Amino acid sequence: MLAFTARQSHRALRAALRTGATAALALSVAAPLARASDSFAIRGSHVVVGSGQVVADGVVWIENGKVKAAGADVQLPEGLPVVEHDGFVTPGLIGFGAAEGLTGEQFDSTRSLMPEAEVALGVDLSHRDFEALCRAGITSVVLTPSSRALAGGTTAVAKTAGNRLVSRDAHLALSFESAALDRERFPTSYGAAVNELDRRVEAGEGRFAEAAAGRLPVLMMVAARHQVLRAAGFAQRHGLRGAVMGGALTGEVADVLASAKLAAIVGPLSVGQSRRSLDAVLELHAAGVPLAFALGTPWRHPDGLRLDAAMCVRQGLPGDAVWGMLTSGAAAIAGVDSAVGSLAPGRDADLVLWSGNPLELGSQVEAVYVDGVPALGGAR
Amino acid sequence: MHEVTSATRASRWLAALGAGLCLATPALARSPQTGDVLWIQAEKVVVRPGEELADAAVLVEDGRIVAVGPDVQAPEGARQLTGKVVCAGFIDPWTGFGLDARSLRDERTSAASRSVDALDPYVDPRLVEDMLRGGVTALRVQAGATAKVGGLGALVRCLPDADDLVVSEEACMAMSVGLDRNDRMLDVFDRVAEVDAVAAALGSGKSYREDQLEYRDELAEWQKAIAEKEEELEDDFKKAKKDREKEIEKAEEKGKEHKEKRYKEDKKPSAPKFDADKEALARVANGELPLIVEVHRANEIRELLASLEEYTRVRLILAGATEALPFAEELAERDVPVIVWPAPRGKARPDAYEQADPALAGKLHAAGVEVLLGSGGQAGIASRDLSLLAALAVGHGLEAEAAFEALTVGAARALDVSDRLGTVERGKSADLLVLDGDPLTLDGRVRHAVCGGEVVYTAEGN
Repeated sequence: MLAFTARQSHRALRAALRTGATAALALSVAAPLARASDSFAIRGSHVVVGSGQVVADGVVWIENGKVKAAGADVQLPEGLPVVEHDGFVTPGLIGFGAAEGLTGEQFDSTRSLMPEAEVALGVDLSHRDFEALCRAGITSVVLTPSSRALAGGTTAVAKTAGNRLVSRDAHLALSFESAALDRERFPTSYGAAVNELDRRVEAGEGRFAEAAAGRLPVLMMVAARHQVLRAAGFAQRHGLRGAVMGGALTGEVADVLASAKLAAIVGPLSVGQSRRSLDAVLELHAAGVPLAFALGTPWRHPDGLRLDAAMCVRQGLPGDAVWGMLTSGAAAIAGVDSAVGSLAPGRDADLVLWSGNPLELGSQVEAVYVDGVPALGGAR
Repeated sequence: MHEVTSATRASRWLAALGAGLCLATPALARSPQTGDVLWIQAEKVVVRPGEELADAAVLVEDGRIVAVGPDVQAPEGARQLTGKVVCAGFIDPWTGFGLDARSLRDERTSAASRSVDALDPYVDPRLVEDMLRGGVTALRVQAGATAKVGGLGALVRCLPDADDLVVSEEACMAMSVGLDRNDRMLDVFDRVAEVDAVAAALGSGKSYREDQLEYRDELAEWQKAIAEKEEELEDDFKKAKKDREKEIEKAEEKGKEHKEKRYKEDKKPSAPKFDADKEALARVANGELPLIVEVHRANEIRELLASLEEYTRVRLILAGATEALPFAEELAERDVPVIVWPAPRGKARPDAYEQADPALAGKLHAAGVEVLLGSGGQAGIASRDLSLLAALAVGHGLEAEAAFEALTVGAARALDVSDRLGTVERGKSADLLVLDGDPLTLDGRVRHAVCGGEVVYTAEGN
């Protein structure tokens, strides 16, 4: 097995990917390989596989941007380049409610109902704000329209490097927030808003028809608890699946969400978040509501995601549950769990190499791979 | 769960404020019984950053640490606590806790304004509990947090005994440069003027002190001259008496009023007019109190450092200092500590440049600057999350030991209370944390918090 420092190997691998000239590498690889990007492995002192099992001295074998195998007993072909990492190797983190590359594209001030709009069409995937997400260990984000639109169109799941969308229509975004109401345009009241959404679902056209048929989940933005109740009632009435996003006290009506079989996106929390709203997250977990975190980036720093996670752990949420909220659980809510969120065969090779346990805020992101390609390498 | 009724809590604060006198009934005025003994055993005692004792115990009597070591036995009848790690309680040198919003945001405070006079005794007990759960046992309370001159900050314990709630009534002087005033952004000229105002304030304090010293010298000189004159007059007292009587007679003959002879020594030097603000500023100019200045922009930091260069005695501490990195070398050289607020902050606008570098604390420390960590002087409960923010700073390159030092002995030193707080040593006040793991890690949950020798918080299930 090759043994060199992680930093050197990342650098070497990056160079290899740029030039494609594996033979020129100082890796002293015995058997020649077609291209470095085709196949390599990362060995970590701790590798988090599947839905959160930590494997000591684990290996992730990456081929063509996908995970070919991950675990402790992976037989690697002879000569395969191996990146040695002393620390944690995990799937990349996933957050909801990002707006990177979406400046001015999140809503239309003249129209509140744009179910056919697509965030995917408005996003600039090469915007440099995505780098900041990458540096925080986040490899996929759910880009959402503004809560000012009653029906803002479909959300998209984007990779934070490599200019790639994982999903163009993860959900139909609806807003039950007061921000969706406007004196100057329809709707002006909750009653009118809910009535209009009911009418659209019943009319069964376009995206609403897909949602009603269960093919497209809804992402319902909420802030206050009464809005959560309104959203849950709406979803239950029409048998819609999906999630509510936002609302510091959503957990206080956790039972309603559980019986409507909805997921919840919590946060963004903040420094000094009230104990009551942190306890509300615990209630959501206790009620069995699937959970993930909201990002609120770029207005909030991407590190806020892990800070929120640490606050939840300190408040008493089990570390495994919080890890799921950051990875596989978030991917499932976004409907992209077959592609991202865990290190399992066939999944995208989105990996983060941490100096220690990623739930520890003191751990640093040392390298990030998106679709098997180094997006951030070596120590910062 | 340790239960303290809000009435008890309030009474402690009231008592501390001196208002307890009129309310003090035996039920309300709870204070620790003299002779209280507490014995804390742990797998690790972090005496100070970098100095640890394995399997040691800490003995506390009357609120003070009386022994630390592996062989310290529990005296009979002592209350006993156990845990994985014992370390000093965290100190937040930059918080908004303990004050009502109006005092906190008051922009008309002046140098002599004492924050201790604005302490809010009716703070929500749950907030205090949260704070202790976050490991914070002492905080700098600072009124006028966004004022140009915030006045004298106090260092207070997080709900300790009535007797010693306040660790230091006048721990520092606070000022700020270039912040939004009344929610209005200052233009560049206003901001430069604010830098000048800091220097001018110190200048007025300095000259006030000089005037006082001059007066003191003059007074001494005068007193000496008077004494000498008295001695001189004593020698020919009889002659002088006769001369005076003669003069009185003469005056009477002429029908005039007698005028007493004037001596030049009769003119007593007059004391400079008392000015509380200048008095406080004088103490800062003379280095008796540290000066904490919140300043963020690079040019204002540069101007501030330049304009305070002549005040060699001033013990400057920068707070915030978002763009301090270019001056790291100078800050290190001039021993200017920086209180970093390591909260993850995003952008004002999507297309704006990053305003806050999460790696600031680590970079400043690496450059030799003494780094302190604070929760940013925001209202309320942000201090609770100070240890999380410190961990985040570690995640961005600050050495873990430096982060721990910042929260304990570093902050105590900066605010002149390191003789009482910041380390687990004999003679120090017992402001301690009993943790389930190493500080600043996920396992490092607070099991017990001890303030001034009293166990003020115990986690559920313990």
